[in-house]
Amino acid sequence: MSRRRGDAEMLKSQAQAPAGGLDRRDFLKCSALLGGSLALAGALPAALRLAQAGEAHAQDQATGAYVHHLPENQIMSVCQQCNTNCGIKVKIVDGRVAKIDGSPYNPFTMTPQLPYATPLKEAAKVEGALCPKGQAGIQTLYDPYRIVKVLKRAGKRGENKWRAIAFEQAVAEIVEGGNLFGEGPVEGLKDICALRDAKVHEALAKDAAAVAGKKMTLEEFKAKHAENLKYLIDPEHPDLGPRNNQFCFNWGRLKGGRSELIKRLVNDGLGTNNAHGHTTVCQGSLYFTCKAMSDQFVEGKFTGGSKFYWQADTGNCEFILFVGANPAEANYGPPHRMPKVTRLQSEGGVKIAVADPRLSKTAARAWKWLPVRPEGVGALGMAMINWIMENRRFDARYLACANKGAAKAAGEPTWTQATWLVKLTPEGKPGPFLRASDLGIAPVKRPKAKAEEGEWEFDAFVALAGDKPVTFDPNDDKNAVTGDLLVDREINGLKAKSVFQIYKEAATAKSFKQWAELAGLEPADIDEVAWEFTNHVERAAADLHRGVSQHTQGFYNVVVWMFVNILIGNHDWMGGLAKATTYGYDGKKEGQPFDTSKSPGKIKPWGLDIIRHGVYDKSTLFQGYPAKRVWYPFATDIYQEVIPSAGDMYPYQIKALMIYMGTPVYALPAGHALVEILRDPKKIPLIIASDITVGETSIYADYVFPDLTYLERWEFSGSHPSMAPKIGPFRQPAAAPLTETVTVYGEKMPLSLESLLLGLAEKLGLKNFGPNALGEGRHLRRQEDMYLRMVANLAAGEKADGSDRVPAASPEEMEIFIKARRHLPPTVFDAARWRAVVGPELWPHVVYVLNRGGRFQEYAKAFKDGQLTNKYGKMVGIYFDNLAKTKHSMTGQTYLPHGDYLPGPADCTGKLIEDPGYDLTLITYKAVTQTKSRTVGNYWLQAVYPENRLDISAADALRMGLKDGDLVKVVSASNSEGVWDLGPLGKKPMAGKVKVLEGMRPGVVAFSLGHGHWAQGAGAWEIDGVALTPDSRRATGIHANAAMRLDPVLGNTGLVDVVGGSAVFYQSRVKLIRV
Amino acid sequence: MGMPLPVEDHLITMQRDLKRALAKEPGHVRWTMVIDLARCIGCHACTIGCVAENKLPPGVVYRPVVEEELGRYPDVRRRFTPRPCQQCQNPPCTKVCPVTATYKNAQGVVVVDYDRCIGCRYCLVACPYNARTSDFGEWYVKGTAMAEGKLVGREKAGQGYEATPAAEYGRQWPVRGQGSPMGNARKCHFCLHRLAVGLLPACVTTCVGRATYFGDRNDAASLVSELLGSPRLRTLKPELGTQPAVYYLN
Repeated sequence: MSRRRGDAEMLKSQAQAPAGGLDRRDFLKCSALLGGSLALAGALPAALRLAQAGEAHAQDQATGAYVHHLPENQIMSVCQQCNTNCGIKVKIVDGRVAKIDGSPYNPFTMTPQLPYATPLKEAAKVEGALCPKGQAGIQTLYDPYRIVKVLKRAGKRGENKWRAIAFEQAVAEIVEGGNLFGEGPVEGLKDICALRDAKVHEALAKDAAAVAGKKMTLEEFKAKHAENLKYLIDPEHPDLGPRNNQFCFNWGRLKGGRSELIKRLVNDGLGTNNAHGHTTVCQGSLYFTCKAMSDQFVEGKFTGGSKFYWQADTGNCEFILFVGANPAEANYGPPHRMPKVTRLQSEGGVKIAVADPRLSKTAARAWKWLPVRPEGVGALGMAMINWIMENRRFDARYLACANKGAAKAAGEPTWTQATWLVKLTPEGKPGPFLRASDLGIAPVKRPKAKAEEGEWEFDAFVALAGDKPVTFDPNDDKNAVTGDLLVDREINGLKAKSVFQIYKEAATAKSFKQWAELAGLEPADIDEVAWEFTNHVERAAADLHRGVSQHTQGFYNVVVWMFVNILIGNHDWMGGLAKATTYGYDGKKEGQPFDTSKSPGKIKPWGLDIIRHGVYDKSTLFQGYPAKRVWYPFATDIYQEVIPSAGDMYPYQIKALMIYMGTPVYALPAGHALVEILRDPKKIPLIIASDITVGETSIYADYVFPDLTYLERWEFSGSHPSMAPKIGPFRQPAAAPLTETVTVYGEKMPLSLESLLLGLAEKLGLKNFGPNALGEGRHLRRQEDMYLRMVANLAAGEKADGSDRVPAASPEEMEIFIKARRHLPPTVFDAARWRAVVGPELWPHVVYVLNRGGRFQEYAKAFKDGQLTNKYGKMVGIYFDNLAKTKHSMTGQTYLPHGDYLPGPADCTGKLIEDPGYDLTLITYKAVTQTKSRTVGNYWLQAVYPENRLDISAADALRMGLKDGDLVKVVSASNSEGVWDLGPLGKKPMAGKVKVLEGMRPGVVAFSLGHGHWAQGAGAWEIDGVALTPDSRRATGIHANAAMRLDPVLGNTGLVDVVGGSAVFYQSRVKLIRV
Repeated sequence: MGMPLPVEDHLITMQRDLKRALAKEPGHVRWTMVIDLARCIGCHACTIGCVAENKLPPGVVYRPVVEEELGRYPDVRRRFTPRPCQQCQNPPCTKVCPVTATYKNAQGVVVVDYDRCIGCRYCLVACPYNARTSDFGEWYVKGTAMAEGKLVGREKAGQGYEATPAAEYGRQWPVRGQGSPMGNARKCHFCLHRLAVGLLPACVTTCVGRATYFGDRNDAASLVSELLGSPRLRTLKPELGTQPAVYYLN
């Protein structure tokens, strides 16, 4: 407003403010939170003074038009512009999302976050920090290239020509099958998943396992199940399971709520064993190494580990060494971790070191940058172990604890296996653990936890104390057993070593200097870092991410680096290693009203899955070594195996593939190799995608179902390991849906993944969806039938007596709740209907949680007496008996059972790959403004970082005669042409501009992920015969994944970590050719 | 041992400072920004947060962050410098405005009266910090696809985030294409519309590294006043005598 405008005009502009506009008195009220009343002289005069001041402050502007700060214009939800899932406050004006900020209730964007009890009116004026992607989320919602109606392919697969069809037609075609594309008959889901009788499944599964275990002959099996052999993929190999397994569901980004709905349809309802995630393209070997490390000794077996990992309790560290991790740009970092890091540095003088071949933004803020060789990250870990052992800077007291009792006595929340004794093989290699039976002590019979299952034999483990072998139970919390760390001797005629001894020998197999050389670093730098790392008792951490795990030896790299942490015993200590802890929402806890796992007619899927999460030599497919493809006994969700295995039809054909929020073609190393498989309907006859737009993978689908964006839908987003408080956040519908309205179970709803799942279930007549699917009178006909009950479980708390139930929303907050949703259509929100789902008694409590976007523990309550409140609290395994006893499917050898440096890259049989003549190692990174495959349509972000480049070091630029901006293509031994071969769309050159940097290790070339698109609006696209205008801004930059090395043995898959399952991103040798 | 747990986020502290300032006589307030370069992580959240808050069209940016690489491998550093309008207390830009559409307000913020601005761009040239940009009426969705009932399409997307201008200066501006701020010179105004309702500027609340501080430098108890005492304090191009109200900590 001009300063020349009179009061009258100012008043006019206020009067014209939209409904729900600013109540001036409202903003003048001093909130207790902001301490306004303390700052002023007295309540009433203060308010008056403030009123005057407010008017005067408004001199240059009116105040009526801005309404973002009013609670009735806000909905607290959760971002999904990347997988950090920060809490967001979605501000709605005139029915549209006007702005997104951080939710002050959610600890991802503010430390400490606001107390949970803070009234909405106060929280309305507080906002946490979001990263640029989070700020730009509004452009994911309102993306011109979002699809709103189901598309069916009109041309050949991959031509990107479509017909818009009715949802009902698409569902019917997928279920019924038929001559869907004029190319011959296609089997529908009802025929692929024909066997729906859970009892028959159970009987077949039991005996198929008996056949594989050689407890039943094939002939006996066939005779017994003659009637049902038609349901099997191959009656000669019953352990492959039912034909249901030929339907495969593969997801990219998936969180809670949706995950339960998918499993309900795919596993429980359709009975397929093939529901696989994408973990291995992220940090698979980090997850699966930590899964192995968290295996406990249960009734004779090492089992029960969680698919999870540890990160630093960032805010309380006195030193952090980020290894292949970049929280300033990715790594669940920016809004959650970086404010903690900058606070530590600037207010606490804390040092941060970063090991990364590239001077990342995290490294840019670090005390020390270690420009490690990509292949040398494991060697750097070994250098650290070598230094810490040689200088005796390890926590001997912690490491000596052999069992729970010892840890308890030492005041340690966890214990490890450093003192456990291991038997040596005749060749002198470490084998399985030494057991009491090896000393002539007979195993003891113990009852199983489930008494009806009988007994198990306890054979104790052995440590050496003084000069005497002591036997122990790792879980014994009464008899504390500690042992010697360094043991190498014969016991009872058996050669044995302690686990610590094995690590010491591995770490001293090379000198500190030699390790430094392999890491490509100055010994003095590692020396300083190691000294700093060991100078803070438990309050230091090596925080790992993809740079450690996405290698052919990823599993072992992760064990090595986790062992570095174990040497200072930092698990569960403040400023040490933490894990994610969440509030349960599935209703399995006492005191929770809705058991959402109830699933009538539930089938227990069985048989070998397409990614072969099993043991090769225990299957009827065993035919000697090597197997046709790798088997993965220690990892699941092996993204890079799904489509190539389907292509090879090993172990069987996939007849229908459904892809949800995933784009393996774009995201996987050497993803170009998938194109040939996906475009061929003879290999996978039916492909269905759920997507926001037609992306680089859904372009090969037969049907694409539009999904809702994160701003329009539900999902229980969970937590991350560096989040110390216990949390239960979720996203909820904040924006009005933009997709078509469809009808399922007689209910109107927006087209989305949920309506697709419900629609399929209705058509297939599944008992675990629809009326009474969640119990008597508890229907599952709409998304909120599931999701609101999950919120109700969060609200009710986890205690049987209801003592941790959240308060009820006040009448005022109830009103705000309803007003804030006035823009949502009844297809999404209807207060009476929502209330009926959870019942009137719980409803106000549910609203309390909905208003806050989840449930959150106070930050200060996450810590007690120098330790974390939300503890891991168990054994941290560092020696893997299971690996020592299992044979690698490609070599027939047992796996190495402990952490060590292994050279790489290697193919899946362990043979080193040389690729002479390719002089650079290709690596990738995330720029803070892009999320891999799905943010290129966020034009605000593109304005800041319009195209990525091929980052090379100044030394290499000089050597190759390249300068900034030169156009080059990337070629490798497995893509010597340097192209993306897209089938019908032709060949796209893999070329980009060079960026010359000092902050890059010579010998390395890097590109950030997120650019170089050809689908999702970037290239030619046709619907109903009309060509859509492509947008060249979406096609900028380069995507060089197709230069990543194909495994020479597998041929259609990038390099892999055969243990931890990781897809390899950092070990492809390439060269740049000027174009 | 270790730092104590944080009692409150700096964002809360500064919001309390803001509340106190709003209670003062307006002529006694001097809005001030301090940017700690040691805490800036170069994430550009402020740039985009500002674009989102003020719905800036292509070509208009109030708060860019300049990235530089310094030194030689392996002794390399990267410097990130957010560069909003420096809110000069002796602003060169206001003096050249032929229609007095731009001026320094009572709290020291250089504002633009969109109703008076004729879009001559003299001020763009006069600013030594390159802090002003012109709004040429561009649209982000320009040239994108339309397919009614099949795609969200250009029109709906445009209505979603650019048809309705932001409530800059606390005012409802006409639908884009029908007048100001299109055609005007545009610049950072410390989010006056947010300050008026008790919110900190958008670049401050979304500063991930907590590098951006804001408050009243006439309030000795404020966080910015405390920082102004730092030996690391400097301004950009002090030799020009522009006397910025935006300070940097090196």
